Amino acid sequence: MTRPSVRSESGTFETWRLIESWNATPEFNMGLDEALLDDPEAPPTLRLYTWSPDTLSLGYFQKWADVPGTESAGAVVRRITGGGAIHHTQELTFSIVLPQSHALFRGPVPLSYGRIHGALIVALTEFGVEGSLAGSGGLRSDREKSGMCFHESTPLDVAWGERKGVGSAQRRRGGRVLHHGSIKLGSTPLEGDIATLEECLPAGDPMGALVPVLMRTFETSFKVRLERGEATTSERSAAQRLGERYASQAFLQRR
Amino acid sequence: MRPDDRHYLPSHEWVKTDGDTVIFGITDFAVEELSHGNVDDLVYCDLPEPGRKLTQGETFGEIESVKAVADLNSPVAGEVVEVNKTIEDHLQVLAKDPWDKGWLIRVKPDDTSMSHLLDAEGYEASVGEADE
Repeated sequence: MTRPSVRSESGTFETWRLIESWNATPEFNMGLDEALLDDPEAPPTLRLYTWSPDTLSLGYFQKWADVPGTESAGAVVRRITGGGAIHHTQELTFSIVLPQSHALFRGPVPLSYGRIHGALIVALTEFGVEGSLAGSGGLRSDREKSGMCFHESTPLDVAWGERKGVGSAQRRRGGRVLHHGSIKLGSTPLEGDIATLEECLPAGDPMGALVPVLMRTFETSFKVRLERGEATTSERSAAQRLGERYASQAFLQRR
Repeated sequence: MRPDDRHYLPSHEWVKTDGDTVIFGITDFAVEELSHGNVDDLVYCDLPEPGRKLTQGETFGEIESVKAVADLNSPVAGEVVEVNKTIEDHLQVLAKDPWDKGWLIRVKPDDTSMSHLLDAEGYEASVGEADE
């Protein structure tokens, strides 16, 4: 197996695999993320993906009854990352899976959020969006008891127009980290009054405009080189096996 | 220097002998990684019920901070005999005192050997590497 190069003192950039999964099932999306998290041999990987059908994902610790949107969302899964629920429609979802010892994730969790969110704020400027960290005062998009991630802000969240614009969550286990991120291209009935890129991206192909900018910014900010690839046969097999759990009633209603 | 009256896993759990049982907890390093000094940032902790059998290295629970979920791994094998119910509802106790009041579970161990674990010095070295 070819191992990715590691950034050296002389400045060699590390190579990350880029896996794009457009219109993938919720079971596959969650299953592949978990497969990558649990495989210590998996190379550093950035995934960019969308969901079909539109799916509501619950945070790992959320109670089913605490998320009113489960009644109307259609497909529902429970993530293994924490935080609040997200309605995955009109959205670019990304995941980053790396060893916990990697410079991006080393140290306290909030510092890793700062690094990733800092890169996202840089990417947003290319679309004329002046994003910033939310700070401690709360946001106009905060809502009581919606259960939705975008309606509950923390100081480290990315916001613009006083509204939350990026959903983020992590899972850490076995010395590895899975980071989930959601960037909204439009609002949904379950996530009203949040910050989106709807007005900032070309209506015809918003994803086509956003993806290359995000890739370029991640490469520059994290000093990596993204190389398009695919999940291996064994990773896809693990994704299928693990994915079955995500939409099972036992897992969904475990809380 | 961390307490030398207990043993450690590199994943930041500790185990301390207390009579014929042992108690599990997580270290100040783990708390700092999850909360970065904000005692209110730990929000959920899921611990096993008494009676559950644990194998060495098994995930026995999970803890969530505002921004991450992390696994809790069992340093030794045994049966859970008591759970610190206080911290399930008051995680500030764990954030403020992970060495004593913030213990997680009490276990009747299958074996009293801890030779597979790190002592305080070894754990210090492990944490030092993680910080580099």
